[in-house]
Amino acid sequence: MTQITLEIDGKSVEAVEGSSLLDVARQAGADIPTLCQNAELNEKGSCRLCMVEVVKGKKRSLVASCAYPVQNGLVVRTSTPEIEKHRKLLVELLYPTALHLAKRYGIEKSRFDGPRGDCNLCGLCVNYCRDVAHKNVLFFEGRGVDRKVSFVPGKAHECSSCGACFELCSGGFVVNNHGTLGLNERAYSGR
Amino acid sequence: MPSQQTLAQTEVDVVVVDDEETIREGCRMALEGEGLRTETAANGALGLELLARVRPRVALLDLRMPGVAGMDVLKRLPDIDPRIVPIVITGYASVESAVDSMKLGAFEFLTKPFETTQLLDSVHRGIHRWGTYAPAQSELAPRRAKQTQTLKSQEDALLKSLEAAEEYAELGGTPTALADELRTLETQADYHTRQLGVVHKKGKALHDFVADLHAVDAIVSRHQSKRSALIQILLDIQSQKNWLPSHMLMWTSRRLGVPMGRILEVATFYEAFSLTPQGRHEVQICTGTACHVRHAPELLATISSLLGIKPGQTDSDLNFTFKQVHCLGCCALAPVVKVDSAYYGNPSMKKLKEIFARCEKDAQAEGEN
Amino acid sequence: MPRLESPKALVALRVKARGQRAAMPQRISVCGGTGCVAAKASGCIDALNAAITRHDLSSKVEVQVTGCHGLCERGPIVVIAPQQYCYLGVAAADADEIIEQSIIKGRPVERLMYQVDKAERIESQDKIPFFRGQQRLLLEANSRIDPRSIEDYIAIGGYTALEQALFRMRPEEIIESVKESGLRGRGGGGFPTGRKWETTRNAPSDTKYVIVNADEGDPGAYMDRSLLEGNPHSILEGLIIGAYAIGANLGYIYVRQEYPLAVENTLLAIEQAREQGLLGKDILGSGFSFDVEVHRGAGAFVSGESSALIAAIEGQVGRPREKYVHTSVCGLWDRPTNLNNVETWANIPHIINKGAKWFSTVGTKTSTGTKVFSLVGKVRNSGLVEVPMGTSLRTIVYDIGGGIPGDKRLKAIQTGGPSGGFLPESMLDVPVDFDELVEAGSMMGSGGMIVMDENNCMVDAARFYVDFLAHESCGKCLPCREGLRQLLHILNRIVAGEGREGDLELMEELCETVATTSLCALGKSAPNPVRSALKHFRSEFEAHIREKRCPSLACVSLFHYHIDAERCNGCSLCQKNCAPNAIHGEHKKSKTIDQESCVKCGACETVCPPKLAAVSKVAGRAAPKDSPLLRQKTG
Repeated sequence: MTQITLEIDGKSVEAVEGSSLLDVARQAGADIPTLCQNAELNEKGSCRLCMVEVVKGKKRSLVASCAYPVQNGLVVRTSTPEIEKHRKLLVELLYPTALHLAKRYGIEKSRFDGPRGDCNLCGLCVNYCRDVAHKNVLFFEGRGVDRKVSFVPGKAHECSSCGACFELCSGGFVVNNHGTLGLNERAYSGR
Repeated sequence: MPSQQTLAQTEVDVVVVDDEETIREGCRMALEGEGLRTETAANGALGLELLARVRPRVALLDLRMPGVAGMDVLKRLPDIDPRIVPIVITGYASVESAVDSMKLGAFEFLTKPFETTQLLDSVHRGIHRWGTYAPAQSELAPRRAKQTQTLKSQEDALLKSLEAAEEYAELGGTPTALADELRTLETQADYHTRQLGVVHKKGKALHDFVADLHAVDAIVSRHQSKRSALIQILLDIQSQKNWLPSHMLMWTSRRLGVPMGRILEVATFYEAFSLTPQGRHEVQICTGTACHVRHAPELLATISSLLGIKPGQTDSDLNFTFKQVHCLGCCALAPVVKVDSAYYGNPSMKKLKEIFARCEKDAQAEGEN
Repeated sequence: MPRLESPKALVALRVKARGQRAAMPQRISVCGGTGCVAAKASGCIDALNAAITRHDLSSKVEVQVTGCHGLCERGPIVVIAPQQYCYLGVAAADADEIIEQSIIKGRPVERLMYQVDKAERIESQDKIPFFRGQQRLLLEANSRIDPRSIEDYIAIGGYTALEQALFRMRPEEIIESVKESGLRGRGGGGFPTGRKWETTRNAPSDTKYVIVNADEGDPGAYMDRSLLEGNPHSILEGLIIGAYAIGANLGYIYVRQEYPLAVENTLLAIEQAREQGLLGKDILGSGFSFDVEVHRGAGAFVSGESSALIAAIEGQVGRPREKYVHTSVCGLWDRPTNLNNVETWANIPHIINKGAKWFSTVGTKTSTGTKVFSLVGKVRNSGLVEVPMGTSLRTIVYDIGGGIPGDKRLKAIQTGGPSGGFLPESMLDVPVDFDELVEAGSMMGSGGMIVMDENNCMVDAARFYVDFLAHESCGKCLPCREGLRQLLHILNRIVAGEGREGDLELMEELCETVATTSLCALGKSAPNPVRSALKHFRSEFEAHIREKRCPSLACVSLFHYHIDAERCNGCSLCQKNCAPNAIHGEHKKSKTIDQESCVKCGACETVCPPKLAAVSKVAGRAAPKDSPLLRQKTG
């Protein structure tokens, strides 16, 4: 548990070596948007909204702060014109889901007309079902642009009492339909 | 009734009793290569002494040896340790000796000359059996003789099922749970045969189904039941069956202790796996860069027209599955088409028609059998 | 076969193996690489063996099946030793003549020798221009050994480097040597190998792993396949040396399952090495123990990325992880792991045997050694080419590759696979060198080199790569998955003639975000083909968008096939070869194409007799069937 010092947005901050840069930065007051982040869940790094600029020695790079372990002497900037430009485009790619983020960036429409649905594949539902509830009813099926969230055939009936995925869903994707949970098929109609 | 205690570890896994040195040493090398601790004995008398001393999980017994024969050792095994699983080897196969040894409790029968894979599969199945039945076995010793009689009637089958239910109960299961599991498996078997579009008699459907589950067991034990070998295990099932039937995935999930969600995640992530039955013949067209640049898309259009299906599809007669793959590694022959295991470089339409016609003839001949 | 308990025993075996090789007066080497097998090499092998038996020559000559020779365009390849006669495009029917002429009479079979146009025929392999321009440090052995024979490998000096490393060098010395050689990773990253080994060695842990990456996912690249199929022991030797230097006792070879022959030959090589005591406990009596397992891939390009590959070995889905902590420190099961490409490992025995200094004099200052390329696409001599770093693209494509067939114009050379870029004709003099290629706007990659000519459309090429990556992406992170999805959609619109003003600028914006924010190298480098195509061939994109025209007449929505009724004589050849039956017209009467059923396969154009040349591609969409402007001459 080594204590280290780093600089975030011009301020000197103390932290425990190896802890998440996102947590440390937020504690220091930085306002970093995230979509796939959740304190209970292990999986991270899907949405890339939390990217920040890190200077280590002579090297400057953009990293996903949720997955980056803090070290001594880092110089971090959580918002720059470059970073905001990327965040805005990512939110535009998500539109019309994550409307709260669209509002933040003043996005009212998307220039992209390719197919996409309501699920942004943040993975919160799958990760919770697997790592916290240990039910393994939801899983990621497929790969690349065909990747989607599915129920294990024949297991949907095991979840009526839980409903955590419904609470966690950032896209309103897992709908509560007459007391049983189902996947919002509309979400995949565009794929 | 014995409590659910942990199985005592034996020091030795397999004992081989055979008067031929080549067999003894051959088996020993093969088994030790698998990480199985093995001891050998050169005749029946020494064999009995060794078995009593080390109490292995599996005993490989040669039937015909001078002096105390394999059959005699087999007869005395339950007295030494009823848990030991006997596998009989012989070079003189005959129906009588097979039946006799089965009646005396032999688990399996290997005929010389046998392949290393046959030996290892048998031994692994034997070890698995030792693991599953060991606690109940010691109590069931007096009943083993009756169990191995050839089933002659439905009453015999009923009795055997009741005995199995007893064993299941001793492993901690309830009779209702057993009934549920059996019903689920039966439904799976039905679904499996319907999915294939093949009409089977119920008995045959169940038989095939059980054979598939045994096949999974053999594959899983070949990989030492390691969870990290999941992908390798699925590759083996895929190459044996040409697809991944759901009942075999379900069985893999249970044997490995890996949730079905993770198995499906892996099965849908990789190209090698198919969750639907494949056609008898696989037509692959390479759409890697070298083939693309040499106009593979045109060839793809031709094949699609000839077969009547798009890439990723199987025709309704289950004759052909047409797949698009990224790079078969024969770029100088581009554009490349692979039909089953034969490669063709830039085949003309005439050639393609010849190849597909030949495949269809095979399929017809198969159907007539 | 008895275990080799000491270096002395290895030397004795080498002497014995050499003696056995020399005892056979003549040898016929037949290339058994997958490419030649596809061209029916096994028929040749059987026919040659049958002819030898018929002439009762089994004690005078033997047929040896070797690995890939490299000139894959001209397979099957047969080489007769000791005369070194090299025969190309050999068929089973040639076997008798070969035996009678070359083996019995000791004369070459001229008609099977290499010849270009009407020039003089060339007798031996090393004088053929394709081979003459190369420096075949790694591939040379392929022509001489049977990959299924460990004795062959030992006879030509195999495992000498291992002996040297285990008994006369300390691990630190080996690492220094690799550093001094300047060897850089051959899988695409080009990271200095010695430094990687050093980091892994210094990482704190008792357990370490070494891995051979034989996933070779780049389409069009098959160098690793040929190395592993043709000379698996060379990779094993490099791996054992590396394990010793790093301090690992267990290794993995990850082979893609699409290479069944490579898997087979590797498994056999491992079995043989174990038998001889070159793998396992106390190798050659050195006290060092090391063993290796083969893990088959299951078909996903992304699992060739090092962290994804490691996840796959652990039995998980092959998805990459963040690289903020390197796999050299925390890799397989969180232990220090050194992963290198097949070709990288294959270089190690040469560095140990010939010395780091010698190695550093081959190639350029910053890119030492040789590189194996798969030269494919629109090139005459398609195959595997090994050249010293610094050789120019012009030399490779023209001097070695023989130029473009049909004397078409070169349009671009693509290097680096889906992570690389296109180099136009103006850049033919760029040397193959890690840094030079990056400066030129592409990269070395694993060695795929695709040649494109005037009939290839660059917009289509960019779309091809984006399509590939969109489906091979693991799908986890937003920029890669959704960014590629939208990039693909825009490119699909453009090639279909539905491009819009502003599309190119939008693509450029997407490219920037995908390149900067993606989680792994697949996403980060995915925009490269698009950016590179836009940089050098922007006018082609603009023609597609503004004029709805494909200058290369390659995009199917922007051209159609047309039969000129004046030139057509009604021979019906095109009709017979039309798979969707889209050509209509009675026999002996001129034909018309039903554009709605036409799948644009091009068979009609190919089969139409050259003196008629009645079928041609016409830019633009065909006129609708009921158009009054359409008039066909019949009769």
